[in-house]
Amino acid sequence: MEEQELLPCVEIRNLVKKFPGVIAVNNINLKVKHREVFSLLGPSGCGKTTTLRILAGLETADDGEVLIEGELINDVPPYRRDCNLVFQNLALFPHMTVEENVAYGLERKRIPKAEIRKRVGEMLEFMQLDGMESRYPVQLSGGQQQRVALGRSLVLKPKILLLDEPLAALDRKLRKDMQLELKRIQQEVGITFFYVTHDQKVALAISDTIAVMRDGKLEQVASPEEIYDSPKTRFVADFMGATNIFLGRVIARSGEEIKLETETGLKIVALADKESSSKEIKGVCVHPERINVLPTGTDVKMDNQFKGRIVGMIYQGDFVELKIHLFSSKEDEIVTARLDARLSRKDSFAAGQEVIGQWDKEGSSTLQG
Amino acid sequence: MKSLRSDKVLIVLAIGGYLLLWGPIIVLGIYSFNNSAFGVKWESLTTKWYVELFHTSAIMDSVLRSLLIASVTTVVATGIGTIAGYGLFKYKFAGRRFLRMSILLPITVPYVIMAGALLVYFTQIIHFPLGYPTIIIAHISFSAPLAVFVTLGRMQRIDWSLEEASIDLGANRLTTWRKVTIPLLLPAIFASAVLIFPWSFNDFTITYFVAGVGTTTLPLYLYSMLQYSLKPVLINAISLIFIITPTIGILVLSYFQREKQFTR
Repeated sequence: MEEQELLPCVEIRNLVKKFPGVIAVNNINLKVKHREVFSLLGPSGCGKTTTLRILAGLETADDGEVLIEGELINDVPPYRRDCNLVFQNLALFPHMTVEENVAYGLERKRIPKAEIRKRVGEMLEFMQLDGMESRYPVQLSGGQQQRVALGRSLVLKPKILLLDEPLAALDRKLRKDMQLELKRIQQEVGITFFYVTHDQKVALAISDTIAVMRDGKLEQVASPEEIYDSPKTRFVADFMGATNIFLGRVIARSGEEIKLETETGLKIVALADKESSSKEIKGVCVHPERINVLPTGTDVKMDNQFKGRIVGMIYQGDFVELKIHLFSSKEDEIVTARLDARLSRKDSFAAGQEVIGQWDKEGSSTLQG
Repeated sequence: MKSLRSDKVLIVLAIGGYLLLWGPIIVLGIYSFNNSAFGVKWESLTTKWYVELFHTSAIMDSVLRSLLIASVTTVVATGIGTIAGYGLFKYKFAGRRFLRMSILLPITVPYVIMAGALLVYFTQIIHFPLGYPTIIIAHISFSAPLAVFVTLGRMQRIDWSLEEASIDLGANRLTTWRKVTIPLLLPAIFASAVLIFPWSFNDFTITYFVAGVGTTTLPLYLYSMLQYSLKPVLINAISLIFIITPTIGILVLSYFQREKQFTR
């Protein structure tokens, strides 16, 4: 038991999967720790669902190894694997009641009837589905269907639960509720979750580790905070909403602090890892909410102050998005900033107004690709 | 509101259409109660033909034969057709498109040609005596394709991740078929059977060629009655029975269909 805990719950080594005309999964390696929520995040077609299906055994790998608790499972058929999948469309059996759906997996294991009844009852209670036993899936609300699908898999106590964007079909409010619910369930049952999604908000909210995937390869694997605050590549930065990306090269450096000249002629101060070499640094990214918008004439000694003109304002309810065209750059450089809706009303910036865009070096992140 | 006139036109057209459809059947029904053996001129009301019908053993025998043949054909052809439809839909292999299209053949080939071919096949090639087996084989050969088509149609609308979910939850292929696939296909299986049974029961052309001595089915018997019988009015009586029975069947079925609403 102790030994098993030391091994990663899931390990994928050099996994490759090809479909006619595309390499869906291109040599990926990852480890999932016990009892964590591991999210595979990426745009559609990046190979995340294929990876998940290989884990479930519904697709076979062309190359590489899949291990669960150190045991190679490449050739284990899906019905004998200790992992269960929650499908994107939930795939609840329409001709079975809630109770029959949840009991389905247990019945296949030839568990005594009395125990099945007990475990199904407990699971339905845990999922707050008591009283729904004899309903059919179409008679349930979206949230209830989600819970039946989760319960149907969790009742089998798998080593790992695979989730294929099960929240994607829900409306925004329900999705928020369900993601809290998911996190609570995961913490209570203590089962490892492998969550596939294209929604960075869901991934940030529920994950312990996020792996960002692009074109069959992993771009970055890190904690949600690190993925958000310090994206390593341009793709991850863009995907996580750090839309202000300045590509350029390092022209000066002292320890962590670097000075970067962008392709458009801006000189930006930023912080880099001590270990990283200046040559590796390809640019800097800044999240919109880290950019301060100041009236012209503000004279304070701060990093990265650039004069510009507001060329667009987009009201978003809880914030206002400003598009600022920076003057000091050679070409058109538009920076996106975010203002708290309360402040913007008082300060009342207007389109066409000249302002200063400013951000601290700590608020930016260097990109290596 | 503004299209009140065209509404009226549609109603008139619909009534006209149904009259055309039901007219002959209504006439036939009325004349089955006519006290005249040749039935062209109305004489008086009687139910004696129905009594006579049930006392004519040749008719009753042919009805039983037809029911037997249609039952066996329905079960076997629905089974074959469903499995074939599943295979043609789910498995990718060379020649799949061709095989799928060639299923149409027995339906599109004129019955007389099909019947002639079957007769030659049975008597000249495999030297099989004509009788129940030849009739049933012939019926299966033209009705299984119907089941294939019905099944293929249903498969387009099935959510196949349900099969994967079943396998993921620990069921092997066979259990998945039994517990998930067949219940999902049940509407198609049912529709095939409902289509094939009367198809087989009604068939005249092919059965005429491949039937042997002592295996006269109801359509064959009715045909010979038309030619030689002194009481063609019996045909009216038996026809009415075979119109009313399936009609009741269809009504009962559509009632039960409404009960089972869990599949969309």
